[in-house]
Amino acid sequence: MTRALITLGIILGFGILKLPAERSLAQEHRDWHLADLDLNLTLREKIGQVGFVAALSGFRAMLADILFIQAEAAWERTEWGRVLFLFRQVTALQPHVPLFWDMAAWHMAWNASAAAMNNPKQPRQALRIKAQREYFTIGKDFLERGIKNNPRNPKLYESLAMLYRDKYNDHARASEFFRKAADCPGAPSYDKRFSGYELSYCEGWEPQAYIQLRRLYDEGEQERLPTLIKRLKYLETKLNIPPSQRIPDQVK
Amino acid sequence: MTEQISTVAKYRRFSPWRVLALATNALVELARQKVFYVLLIFALILIGSSVLMARFAFQQEFQILKDVSLGAMSLFTSILAIVATARLIPQDLEDRTLYTILAKPVPRYEYILGKLFGALLLLAISIAVMAALFAAILYLREQSVLDQTWRQMRSGPPGQVDDALSTIRASGLNSDIFVGVTVIFLKASLLAALTLFISTFATTNIFTVVVMVVVYFIAHLQPVAREYWLQQAHAGWISRGFLALVALIFPDLQAFNLVDDIVAGVAIPMAIFTKTLLLGIFYIVIYTMAAIFVFYGKEL
Amino acid sequence: MTDLAVEVEGLTKIFSIPFRKQSITAVRDLNLRIETGEVYGLLGPNGSGKSTTLKIILGLVSPTSGRTEIFGQDSSQVATRQSVGFLPENPYFYKFLTGTETLRFFGKLCGLRGWDLKDRVQELLDLVGLTEARNQRLGTYSKGMLQRIGLAQALINEPALIVLDEPTAGVDPAGSHEIRNLIVDFKKRGVTVLLSSHLLEQVQEICDRIGILAKGKLVREGPLQELIAIEDRTELVLENASDKLMKDIEKLATKAKATVIERRRSTTTLERLFLKVTSDQNRND
Repeated sequence: MTRALITLGIILGFGILKLPAERSLAQEHRDWHLADLDLNLTLREKIGQVGFVAALSGFRAMLADILFIQAEAAWERTEWGRVLFLFRQVTALQPHVPLFWDMAAWHMAWNASAAAMNNPKQPRQALRIKAQREYFTIGKDFLERGIKNNPRNPKLYESLAMLYRDKYNDHARASEFFRKAADCPGAPSYDKRFSGYELSYCEGWEPQAYIQLRRLYDEGEQERLPTLIKRLKYLETKLNIPPSQRIPDQVK
Repeated sequence: MTEQISTVAKYRRFSPWRVLALATNALVELARQKVFYVLLIFALILIGSSVLMARFAFQQEFQILKDVSLGAMSLFTSILAIVATARLIPQDLEDRTLYTILAKPVPRYEYILGKLFGALLLLAISIAVMAALFAAILYLREQSVLDQTWRQMRSGPPGQVDDALSTIRASGLNSDIFVGVTVIFLKASLLAALTLFISTFATTNIFTVVVMVVVYFIAHLQPVAREYWLQQAHAGWISRGFLALVALIFPDLQAFNLVDDIVAGVAIPMAIFTKTLLLGIFYIVIYTMAAIFVFYGKEL
Repeated sequence: MTDLAVEVEGLTKIFSIPFRKQSITAVRDLNLRIETGEVYGLLGPNGSGKSTTLKIILGLVSPTSGRTEIFGQDSSQVATRQSVGFLPENPYFYKFLTGTETLRFFGKLCGLRGWDLKDRVQELLDLVGLTEARNQRLGTYSKGMLQRIGLAQALINEPALIVLDEPTAGVDPAGSHEIRNLIVDFKKRGVTVLLSSHLLEQVQEICDRIGILAKGKLVREGPLQELIAIEDRTELVLENASDKLMKDIEKLATKAKATVIERRRSTTTLERLFLKVTSDQNRND
């Protein structure tokens, strides 16, 4: 009996020793955004009891994947409500996987919105447009939250820029987000060009757009893509750039 | 022959050879268990079946492959660690081999160390096999997608091709995955040490396994208990006492769930990895020492 | 003092049952002295404390009070086991190991390595007659073979003291005969043997001294022959004695005021008959 008590004492003693180490490690995790997944009741509500247990047991990733596959299946059946529901769970479980936020936004802002716009069951156009815009907002929300959780991932900024460009026709915001995407590590080279293009569509922003695109042009051959040259020429005409400073005409 | 002490070999207080003999023996014994083969084959099938995910885009495919493989490795090594280690000491007691071993000049702590290292060797080998299969599949798929993409984009501007290829490589095989595998091994080793400790005073094999399953779940809640205990000043002293016990006795198994984030592509800083490693080793040492202490008092 | 292989003084062991008031006293104030080079039999019925005493001597169980020493050193120290070999009751060992592998395993635990280990293993396999079965798994061994491999592992480190707990229990007559021969062989080499048994006739032939345990107490101890000799009776075994001679002897005895208790034909033991008959059968096959 005494041995049992001493053993318990040893474990408790070491327990006290390990506490600061555990807390400091947990803090480091939080600092690096590795584990800001709050394991509290709201999460439990979101994913149900089994999911909660699985999440705690460290199988968040597998569970998220299973739900993701289910979401894709729901999409094929155009069950938009279910798609949204499942993607909410998937992104709650794995907030640090940009792919999930991106896919969620795509399904909402591109697919669900289109389905809502063309919904044969809704005769009133005004209501269809309203539904479509709601899906835009949901998609935008996914991307914004995704960016909050993954601030250094270029793809999410890119997708948000495309959302503003294609769905809201907001070239200013599109340009801003393409630029933010370009600032992220590992961004594809077209992001900075797209930022310039979008800026060039904004009324009153032509001078800045010209500077941006010209700077890119000066970087070399790899930037001198057809669209860039086209927009640059358009801006040169619009801004009356003196001929000596204009880019040479393309020789094909 | 009237000499008192044998001239064959001198007794040494600590002998790594004795521990090695005990460890390899434990390893052979465990590797013969049917449950080991069943688990291993199941895990390999699971990893292999993720190849069927090729219908998705490559990013999703690689994502799922990594999740399933690392998840399978984590799950099966956890189960193996508990189930295999639980039977080591009771089996020796039942077969009376424990008497013959301890009647030799083998200190009891070396016996415990030998069993532990045998279990750790088993886990290491299993993880190595699973990781090799997983890495091979991922590498082959990555090469295949790279090849396909290069062929499709061959005529495009070089910048774009490089972008595409580097995106593929970023989601494919990278060094963080092996950090993840190491952490999985660490967690399994922790569970093995804890199981060994429980088995030193448990009455039956089943008891050990059941206790360990409960411990596994509670240990995942330990960080929650810990923070509630240390931060919530207004809770009653009974509940605070209970939370304190959980926080002190159980290990923080959540700290070893780096796998989820590794798969998400978040790079693990060296500092965190090192601290996790040290914490894991610390736990293993504590529970092994506790096991040795209990074992010294055990009536055989 | 150093002539004593084993010394036990005031040994008491009480097993307490957790959560119950009662406890079991397995051994009660036991005193034992075993001299170097003798074969000592610790006898007694089941539950008399024999196994417990042996385990305490080997340091597997700790005593409640008293002390035990092997060759002058406290037997709870691990170092003393370098000179002791133990064969437990009904051993199983590791079923998946072969005979050779089993001996190699135990040899390594005793610090043997390389060629020394190899030679020793071979030597012991020959000694216990298991050379042919050396590459078979222990799971396939008969009870007698298991006892013999057990004996071999007990000898792996050339111990000066061998402790055997029920060495012939459950073994057939041929097997137990071989084991007894081995024990006699040990004695010839100067090894001290401490064995416990409840098969009394079998140990009668090999022990020098015996101690009888009952309910944890040593009720009788001493040299075997002295203990079992019936003091005032003598046996005289004759071959080819005629009836007339027998009658003369009886008359002499009565004249000398001795009593003839019994006259009968000498018998062999059932065991010897069994062994002779079965080995003859083996030869004819």
